[in-house]
Amino acid sequence: MADAASPSREFNPWPAAIFASLVILAMLFLAPTIGVLLSSIKTTRDIAFGDLWSIPSVLYLGNFEEVLFNPAVHRYLLNTLLVTVPATAASLALGVLGGYVFSKLPFRGSNLLFLALVSGMFFPPQVILIPLFRFFNTLGLIDTLWPIIFVHTALGIPICTLLMRNFFSTVPNALREAAILAGANEWQVLTKIALPLSVPALAVLATLQFTWIWNDFLWPLIFTQSDDKRTIMIGIVNLKGQYSVAWGVQGALSLVASVPTLVIFLFFQRYFIKGMTMGAVKG
Amino acid sequence: MANLKIKGVSKSFGDQEVIRGVDLSVSHGEFLVFVGPSGCGKSTMLRLITGLEDVSEGRIFIDERDVTLEKPSKRGVAMVFQSYALFPHMTVEQNIGFGLRLSKVPKETISRKVAETAAILQVEDLLSRKPRQLSGGQRQRVAIGRSIIGNPKVFLFDEPLSNLDAALRVQMRLEIARLHKRLGTTVVYVTHDQTEAMTLADRIVVFNKGMIEQTGSPIELYERPVNKFVASFIGSPAMNFLDGELAPADGTIELRIGVASIKADRLSNMAVRPMRVAFGIRPEHIQVVDVGDGHLQAKVEIVEKLGSESVVYFQTEISQTPLVMRAPPGLPLAPGDNVGLRFDLDNMHLFGSDGRAILEA
Repeated sequence: MADAASPSREFNPWPAAIFASLVILAMLFLAPTIGVLLSSIKTTRDIAFGDLWSIPSVLYLGNFEEVLFNPAVHRYLLNTLLVTVPATAASLALGVLGGYVFSKLPFRGSNLLFLALVSGMFFPPQVILIPLFRFFNTLGLIDTLWPIIFVHTALGIPICTLLMRNFFSTVPNALREAAILAGANEWQVLTKIALPLSVPALAVLATLQFTWIWNDFLWPLIFTQSDDKRTIMIGIVNLKGQYSVAWGVQGALSLVASVPTLVIFLFFQRYFIKGMTMGAVKG
Repeated sequence: MANLKIKGVSKSFGDQEVIRGVDLSVSHGEFLVFVGPSGCGKSTMLRLITGLEDVSEGRIFIDERDVTLEKPSKRGVAMVFQSYALFPHMTVEQNIGFGLRLSKVPKETISRKVAETAAILQVEDLLSRKPRQLSGGQRQRVAIGRSIIGNPKVFLFDEPLSNLDAALRVQMRLEIARLHKRLGTTVVYVTHDQTEAMTLADRIVVFNKGMIEQTGSPIELYERPVNKFVASFIGSPAMNFLDGELAPADGTIELRIGVASIKADRLSNMAVRPMRVAFGIRPEHIQVVDVGDGHLQAKVEIVEKLGSESVVYFQTEISQTPLVMRAPPGLPLAPGDNVGLRFDLDNMHLFGSDGRAILEA
């Protein structure tokens, strides 16, 4: 037997190395969250005397109580929802329409237009910050939620169009043609054939966009001023207290603020997995 | 009555002309097959009939109605795609009823019609399944069901059997023939498989480079090909070709192939000047005779035993490509044997240098 001739099987360092680096990465990513979690259940006194990683002497839920029953926090959460849901929906819808046209109904120059559109992804927001502020100021929309919705919708179009175009390209043209022969118009092909097949792509995009917009700090900071127009990320900063930093309260709100994105992720996760297996089986 | 007329149709993609002035008329209930090598334009022609591609020139009539500018769904055509194109997220029932649902047919009517269609194609038990749970043959049936449910005037097939394995292909071929008999619809069927074409067609259209080379019944194309392309494309194993020369001799005309000179009654009444020709002979029109006899001397290269017959490949001195013969299974031939070959001159074909047949059959 060939194996008997070389009894010591060669040690392959790669799986071990990959596993070790993944564990280290996971710890690095989780550590801040754990720090925040620990702070959120400590009293201010505990925080002052211990360090970030110290175990709280008692389980203190006062921070969460303060955050959850604070009307200002309710306002922040509502504002964020009012921005995130329409902006996510609008950028997804526009991405779907654009992606469908670029993938299934190409026209003269459509590839060039597509490149121009996608290159929008590479503009740093700082470049367009002042022009946009002046633009919305002229329209009298500063200190409302509208500019945030518009800007996030617009900034979401390139990535949404890119992803949807690529996904629609995997939907065979024969399906579109079969539907058209059966009497479908282009809108029906999109809604009855292409979209139902694109649920995995839509789930990925919805999660990405929702998380990105929900967690955004920059645009709400620029476009809003009064406290009742602020979104949750700015709210966290606002809760810092006048004379001292309320680490515990901020920690609690940070955790509360990350719940919706977590829920969205968990909700759409099953479609990610479905998408992976769909690709694996020919059919 | 649903006939199909194609008048002077051309199609270009950019500056590449893929269909060049095709005229064709298909009568009601006819089973017409387009054959030709890949890229010959046969599938494009089919797509022009459906309206999935617009014609660049010419007109298309279905049932005496000009449908050239009509939307695909208004032409009264249905198509079965090579890939079946079943909607993967819908059940078989939803797939078959898709067109009816789009045109807002009442639910009861849809389920009645779907049930009828499913019965014709024997897929009643599969109605609640998704396409990925079906075998190739079942998918094919569902695809056909989705097409016939709308009572199309013209039924189009785009290489429908090419994704099936050999045994299933034969079975589905038979079923398509049965279905055609039962429905009596006009059918246009595209294939590159000439066996499929020969067995299914009332009439075959041979395409090459965007033009029709010949139209006719399978036997007509087999026995009287109008040019070398059709002769070589129709028939399996393909016709043998040998370079030859027509020359006058003793007041008549003889055909010279290598060292052999062939005289035949059929040549004598031809009034031609000396010219180079391609001599064509089908594998079943060759006979083995003793060495030194016959028209040509050859050496057996390979014998393929198929059971009901054998296919024998001969090496000759005058041709690089081997000569193919269909022989009865018991013929005692072994590789290396030297034999003489005799051609059945009543069934020979001659093609001029332009490829056109120059001998009336």
